[in-house]
Amino acid sequence: MTAHAARILVVDDELGVREGCRKILASEGYDVVTAGDGKAGLEQFIERGPFDALLVDLQMPRMSGLELMQEIRARNPDIVPIIITAHATLDTAVEGTRQGAYSYIPKPFTPDELLLAIKNGLEKRALSLEARRLREERERRLLEVASERSRSNTIIAAMTDGILVINLEKLVVLRNHAAARILPDCADRPLPFPLEEIQSSDVREIVSVVIDSPGGFMILSRQIPLGASTFMVNVSPIIEPGGETSGAVAVFSDVTELAKLDTAKSMFVSLVAHEVKSPLAATEGWLNLVLSGMLKADPQEERRMLERAQLRVKTLRGLVNELINLSAIQTGKFTLTRAPVAVVEAVSRAVEASRESAGPRAIRIELEDAGAGARVLADREALSMIFGNLVENAVKYSRDGAAVHVRIEQDARHVSVSVQDHGIGISAEDCGKIFDEFYRARTEETAAIPGTGLGLSLVKRLTELHEGTVGVHSELGAGSTFTVRLPLADEAP
Amino acid sequence: MSGSSLIFLVDDDKDFLEMEQAILSAGGYRTRCFSEAREALEALAAPGAERPALLVTDLMMRSLDAGFTFAKAVRSDPRFAAIPLVIVSAVASQKGLDFRPRSPEDLAAMNADAFFDKPVPPEQFLSRVRELIG
Repeated sequence: MTAHAARILVVDDELGVREGCRKILASEGYDVVTAGDGKAGLEQFIERGPFDALLVDLQMPRMSGLELMQEIRARNPDIVPIIITAHATLDTAVEGTRQGAYSYIPKPFTPDELLLAIKNGLEKRALSLEARRLREERERRLLEVASERSRSNTIIAAMTDGILVINLEKLVVLRNHAAARILPDCADRPLPFPLEEIQSSDVREIVSVVIDSPGGFMILSRQIPLGASTFMVNVSPIIEPGGETSGAVAVFSDVTELAKLDTAKSMFVSLVAHEVKSPLAATEGWLNLVLSGMLKADPQEERRMLERAQLRVKTLRGLVNELINLSAIQTGKFTLTRAPVAVVEAVSRAVEASRESAGPRAIRIELEDAGAGARVLADREALSMIFGNLVENAVKYSRDGAAVHVRIEQDARHVSVSVQDHGIGISAEDCGKIFDEFYRARTEETAAIPGTGLGLSLVKRLTELHEGTVGVHSELGAGSTFTVRLPLADEAP
Repeated sequence: MSGSSLIFLVDDDKDFLEMEQAILSAGGYRTRCFSEAREALEALAAPGAERPALLVTDLMMRSLDAGFTFAKAVRSDPRFAAIPLVIVSAVASQKGLDFRPRSPEDLAAMNADAFFDKPVPPEQFLSRVRELIG
């Protein structure tokens, strides 16, 4: 029974009955409180409760036993009320049980009758309490399971990865919002629907292979293009606690950006291979020719050819340097040796270097120095690469016979070097990307112009290493102006 | 040897134009160089122009297959269809494509009579040119 001594409230206007009950019950270890009428009984119940059982006389002054029972049961429905009455009739007994009494004991009663009634009542109470506890426990668990399931559902619904669950009959039984978005062709199809109704044969196949695999321990991953995006689809079997496969779950992760990066890298490797292969083949060709002895030992002709080979090797070395520098900057291994440098000197060197390619195409390079001897704290080599790339680009993308304007300007804290061409120009869309590695604007006109797509990204990274910025203004067909802004030597940190 | 024969060379890389020119000159041929296929086609069709005994074209110029396009244009014109044509390329296997012909059928499909990887080996190139001009 209960761990504590059961507490019993005895309410009777007859002192003899009250005290008799108390003595009998107390001798059995019960905790007993008594009251002389209904009102006093209610007061005791409120002040000294809780009680496990109530012994109540029916006819009492101020408040009857039935009234008291009602009051008390309203406050504690678990209490076991037992009526003690001298007027035991069928009517009162029926009325009493209707009011919730567990039983009644006619007066006079023997101690054994009293104890038996109390014992039975308390046992019944304990049983019903236990039953209720179990019922509540079960309800609580059901609620937990339900809320656990709804939580899982909420999480699955909110995931950005698409999720499909397919059962052994190849019916799609679960589909989250992302999956509906990724597979729009069956988004409106009510669940469950046959796997066959998914349009992508790649998706159908990969799921089928996993479901049909003997033993069901196969996990498959495949990159599958769906719509404009590329997804990594992972399909794994759902294995029940008993070890049996009950279906498969397919998870769709958007890898479009990664796939693009992958393509960009492959294109870059292919571009570099081409850029390397042409000068190498030309160099080899000249050397072959000299070695073939076809030139009948004309030393002048041989020398001219060796010089041509040398020129191609030089451009090749330039390309390799560019690659090494970019890689060094990317991995943080590019060390700057900074010293005050006159900007006009660095720019002049770049302009002179570009005259070699500008000359044969009758492109004029004009340098305007309004920089008043501006100096920056910079790495001399890096600065040469920045200006060299910009001027060389301007020449490369100019039309034959055009002019390239290079202008140095200075304000309170910065020096700006702008390189303007009147060439093919860059579309607004391409302007946002030309500083990205490997990116080259692709038009009919640029197709024949060699380049690795590395120059401008090198310029941007080197400029930023010098706390500077680089920007571009361009109009398709009218030309481009690239501007590098660097802090003046005194301002550089 | 027909030392006076004229050969057209088409390549957008000046180095290759000049080295092929040097090889052919050493073999006693005269050459005309073009940096674009279009220019060569115009020169072929020009009224009163000297007809070349052989055409040599690079493969990848302005576009990946500019040489094929050129060869096809020449072959489909009855006036020039009989002129032997040699394709040279430094990018015979580029972007996963392998352009190297493996059989006479491949060559015919390219509308070419010979194919050389760049740089062309001087002696072999010259002897193949001699065979083709006859």
